Amino acid sequence: MRVLRLTWRQRSARIALAVLAVVAVLAVAGGAFAPDDPLAQHPADMLQGPSAAHLLGTDYLGRDVLSRLIAGTGLSIAGALEAVAAAMLLGVIPGVASVWLGRTVEWTTQRAADTLMIMPFTVFAIAVVGALGNGMHQAMLALGVLFAPLYFRVTRAAALGLKQAQYVEAAELMGASRWWILRTHVWGKILPTIAVTTAQTVGQALLVVSSLTFLGLGVQPPAPTWGGMLASDLGYLAQQPWAPLIPGAAIMITVGALNLLADAIRDSGAPTADELGKPPRAEGTAPALVTEDREPLNSPETQGRSANRATPSEDPELPSEDHANAAATVARTHIEQPEEAEHRVTTG
Amino acid sequence: MTAPATLTGRGPGHAGRGPGLSPAGPAARPRVRESLFRRLTAAPRPLGRLLVVTATVFVLASLLTFALGALSDANPAAAVLGDLATPADIARMEAQFGLDRPLYVQYVTWLGSALSGDLGVSWFTGVPVADSIAQALPVDLSIAGLALLLAVVIGGGAGIAAALHSGGRIDRTVTLVCSVLSTLPPFLIGIVLIVVFAVQFGALPTGGYEPLNAGVGQWLRYAILPAFALSLDAAASIARQLRTSLVGALRENYVTGAEMRGYSARRVLFGHVLRNAAGPALTVLGMSVPVILGGAVVTEKIFNLPGIAQLSLQAAERHDIPVVQGALLVTVAVVLVANVAVNAALAALNPAARRNRGGRARTAPAEGGGA
Repeated sequence: MRVLRLTWRQRSARIALAVLAVVAVLAVAGGAFAPDDPLAQHPADMLQGPSAAHLLGTDYLGRDVLSRLIAGTGLSIAGALEAVAAAMLLGVIPGVASVWLGRTVEWTTQRAADTLMIMPFTVFAIAVVGALGNGMHQAMLALGVLFAPLYFRVTRAAALGLKQAQYVEAAELMGASRWWILRTHVWGKILPTIAVTTAQTVGQALLVVSSLTFLGLGVQPPAPTWGGMLASDLGYLAQQPWAPLIPGAAIMITVGALNLLADAIRDSGAPTADELGKPPRAEGTAPALVTEDREPLNSPETQGRSANRATPSEDPELPSEDHANAAATVARTHIEQPEEAEHRVTTG
Repeated sequence: MTAPATLTGRGPGHAGRGPGLSPAGPAARPRVRESLFRRLTAAPRPLGRLLVVTATVFVLASLLTFALGALSDANPAAAVLGDLATPADIARMEAQFGLDRPLYVQYVTWLGSALSGDLGVSWFTGVPVADSIAQALPVDLSIAGLALLLAVVIGGGAGIAAALHSGGRIDRTVTLVCSVLSTLPPFLIGIVLIVVFAVQFGALPTGGYEPLNAGVGQWLRYAILPAFALSLDAAASIARQLRTSLVGALRENYVTGAEMRGYSARRVLFGHVLRNAAGPALTVLGMSVPVILGGAVVTEKIFNLPGIAQLSLQAAERHDIPVVQGALLVTVAVVLVANVAVNAALAALNPAARRNRGGRARTAPAEGGGA
């Protein structure tokens, strides 16, 4: 919890939280602020620019854009949150379980995570919706399943490191139950990591949700969403070339705030997803946060460098490469610990 | 012989530090069980093992794809006939499509014929799914391929420029642009491109597609906007990654050594540094293949391209399960093939791997570092 307190001290975190609070209020009580009915059509003022009556103009059916934007907040945000909640549930529990429940569980969960990582979001979501019916819950379940490996890897990496910690080993020796260890030693430690991942993932999920609603997946047409607004603006670019920028800006500001927040939590000491395992992956987006120390793969990848350092006479089988790399990138040393831990665990 | 001499100075020091970090030590080099991505894209593994992992993942993915169909309550009779379907119709059509057999028989038959190129027939049109996909896939592949190429050129260029002027104005600009790009919904870029190039200037068509065999120029006219829109995101990831690893690599002693020896800056960059720093960027490139293919779906819709997405979106609306499953399975296969290719490229880039294979450790080939 210290991490969260430190986070609050940062100005960028407070700005991000303020923005997110506004978004949350709009999402929950949007109807109260909307100046007009988001579904009411005014055929007389189709495709109008901003005016006193319609602050952000009207769309091709004469509907008030501002009202649709506010009303769309709820569906877009709720969708992203639902996907992330599903991902957390499907990712965190197997992540911890894969460390403590033996090799069969470990192998199975890891291969499952591998498989989900290679599924392209939109194609998978289309398939799910095609098979299970076109609804928000089906679409978000699909996203949740695909985001789950992110949580799985982060949790697993954190838990692996902890399992090797001496106090955990001591507790095990003294006969503490797994459950007790999880509650006492593990949970509080992996929470900040999960918080960073969540802030990132909600942002990514929002982008994917807007892609899906843009395609018409998960929502029925009259209901407004940010992605759906973009889709309907697409047909009238000749008349209103600036119209897509409005929902686009709403998405950008929200995702930007989430990225800022994730950055702030990370700066306060929580190890990032990148450092712990996999970089986050999301449809059409790259994680914004880590500009400096983003290394998608841990050690072996940078080993071009260390390989060059090795003398020709050195036995190429020597495992020094990974370690040399760890030494070379001091910032990443604590990534290596889970790595090493993993080595030891798997060799029993 | 010059380069190894440069390297010797540093080698032992690093090798010596290894055991200090790892209590397990070099002697206990364990068999590592890692994630697919790390395996596919990390240190080159023996080809056989790579193929085993790839095959496992493919089987799991096919199982998931099949499960979607099995979980679905859609059936061909209801999908085609709607309310008019009588129980007799349902039974007849289920028998026709083999849906009355046990699930595991269905799965094995489906996967078996899929591997031999037969993905079944559409419930609606009776057209073989493989034929529809064979028509649609080249659209996506050519757009995604061009997008990858653009991503490498743009991202590589930006990353190198940023790293060479680390901390300077170019560096800050690149970092800022990358951050902004990652908060944008990818298709918004496509829309902006249409507005600027097609609507305002009228220079390029707003959408549509011409196959490659209609002429490269004609194809490019239609493909360039969607490919550019798709590429920016991957380009941002590559630029960021390449910048980070280049900045690190440029600080290494062998760079100083090479400069001291009087090598030109270009030779040091392209011959030594880029080659070493390109690995992580190449990995990012590998990971952006599913992203680009997935993004191609939305891009297809924006630019009205007759690709896989249109096919599977239409099929999804009609609950045409065989088409939906086929599209997903083929996409997964493309991603897996791309991963194997990236792994091969990494192996080619990594001198240590060549030594392992008994090859000659070349030290300064100017290969442009995988760009």
